[in-house]
Amino acid sequence: MKKETAFSRIVRTLAAFAVVIIFWEAASLFVARPFLPLPALVFERLFFSLRNGTLLFHTIASGKRIFLSIVIALPAATALGLASGRSAKLDAFVSPFIYLLHPLPKVAFLPVIMLFFGLGDGAKIFLISVIIFGQILVAVRDASRAVSGALLDSVRSLGAGRLALIHHVVFPAVLPSILTALRVSLGTAIAVLFIAETFATESGLGWYIVDSWSRVDYIDMYTAIVSLSAFGFFCYLAVDAAELAFCSWRETQ
Amino acid sequence: MLELDGVSIIYTVRGKELAAVENASLVCPEGKICALIGPSGCGKSSLVQAAAGLKKIASGRLLVGGKDVRSTRENTAVIFQDFGLLPWKTVAQNAELPLLLRGIARGERRGRVAPILEELGLSPFASFYPLRLSGGLRQRVAIARALASDPDLLLMDEPFSSLDTLTRESLQDKLLEVAARRKMSILIVTHSIEEAAFLADSIYVMKGRIPGRVACFVEAPRPRSASFRTSASFFKLCVAVRTCLESKAEGADR
Repeated sequence: MKKETAFSRIVRTLAAFAVVIIFWEAASLFVARPFLPLPALVFERLFFSLRNGTLLFHTIASGKRIFLSIVIALPAATALGLASGRSAKLDAFVSPFIYLLHPLPKVAFLPVIMLFFGLGDGAKIFLISVIIFGQILVAVRDASRAVSGALLDSVRSLGAGRLALIHHVVFPAVLPSILTALRVSLGTAIAVLFIAETFATESGLGWYIVDSWSRVDYIDMYTAIVSLSAFGFFCYLAVDAAELAFCSWRETQ
Repeated sequence: MLELDGVSIIYTVRGKELAAVENASLVCPEGKICALIGPSGCGKSSLVQAAAGLKKIASGRLLVGGKDVRSTRENTAVIFQDFGLLPWKTVAQNAELPLLLRGIARGERRGRVAPILEELGLSPFASFYPLRLSGGLRQRVAIARALASDPDLLLMDEPFSSLDTLTRESLQDKLLEVAARRKMSILIVTHSIEEAAFLADSIYVMKGRIPGRVACFVEAPRPRSASFRTSASFFKLCVAVRTCLESKAEGADR
């Protein structure tokens, strides 16, 4: 049963991929301009650039930035979200800051951040971390607030203390929301990464896109766009795998 | 043994104090089943939460095994209407939870829980997640978890209310069977006259709202025949409880 659904999901994803390629091909033939090349040309160049290592180098540079941002933001946001979701006192202190800071367009602070952190990876990682930190924090806080009081009471009656409640009840209840927040944040992180990589760097897919654009090498530009999309797609798959591994109890509904 | 002597419970809602229960007294001796019956909102669930140490009492005394209840205690188990199972733990893991919380090693947890699962007919479902089980089976898991903590006091808050009649009756039979093998006091809160009459050695009837009071007490003698559910003495007991529930004057001034 489970194998079949996994298989049909793969088939449906491949079908969606084929549809996207067909639309791309049709649009390319219809527009007939160099800035929308045929998919076959892009994929041919993609394999070439992957083999000689240039594209791989830039993908790894971008991937490293995203990965480090998540490693910094996810545990911190999860911890603070759990704590402020379950403690009214802490929440009264944290929430005003969230309301004040969350809606700000933090990308606009990139120049200031670069003045503080220099031109290297630090500024980029800091910017992405701050943005996804806010998103994950809000999602985790709201989800941990929503944990059923009756469930907590029933485990509390077994003698569970505060930490045991978080370990056995709140965290597992919130985990699906953490993974959903992570999915949303991945999309944001990749978008922010692109903007951050258009400044003061010579590595990363964002830089590669802008660089090939200015070289008027549109095929190269598309290879980087496809790489960035593929990178995002595999990140989603990783989150899916985590969900399958840790939240399998939901599948049995 | 559970003893309540003049217990009052007060809630604070938006700065206002509301008395949920006033001057409630009852005794549930070791090895006995006591039922607390009353209409919705009479404060019977508040009494269970207080006895479980989840809610503070405003006045009176609340003793378990002769000691004041100040917080939750290891050997008090509580079963709620909505089962209170963790959906991310399997049947066996749920049943082992009280032992896990006491820091008991995995092997010993398994060994202690396996016979309890067997006793409740849950062995074939040990590796299932609760979401895959019917309501009746879920409540059996809740009972298994309660028994795993080796309780001397078992508190049940409308445990069978959400189940269909046949499932409910088979669980009532199971509860009596399980209770007979152990030495624990059981306090069961219910709004079903039949359930109270079938299960309990003594029945306390609560009445009124904000505050609710213990209005009367009905003794239900044992031993009972296998066909107790259809016997004349069962119906007599039901009538006695109903008479108390429906009498107006007593609830109003006592």
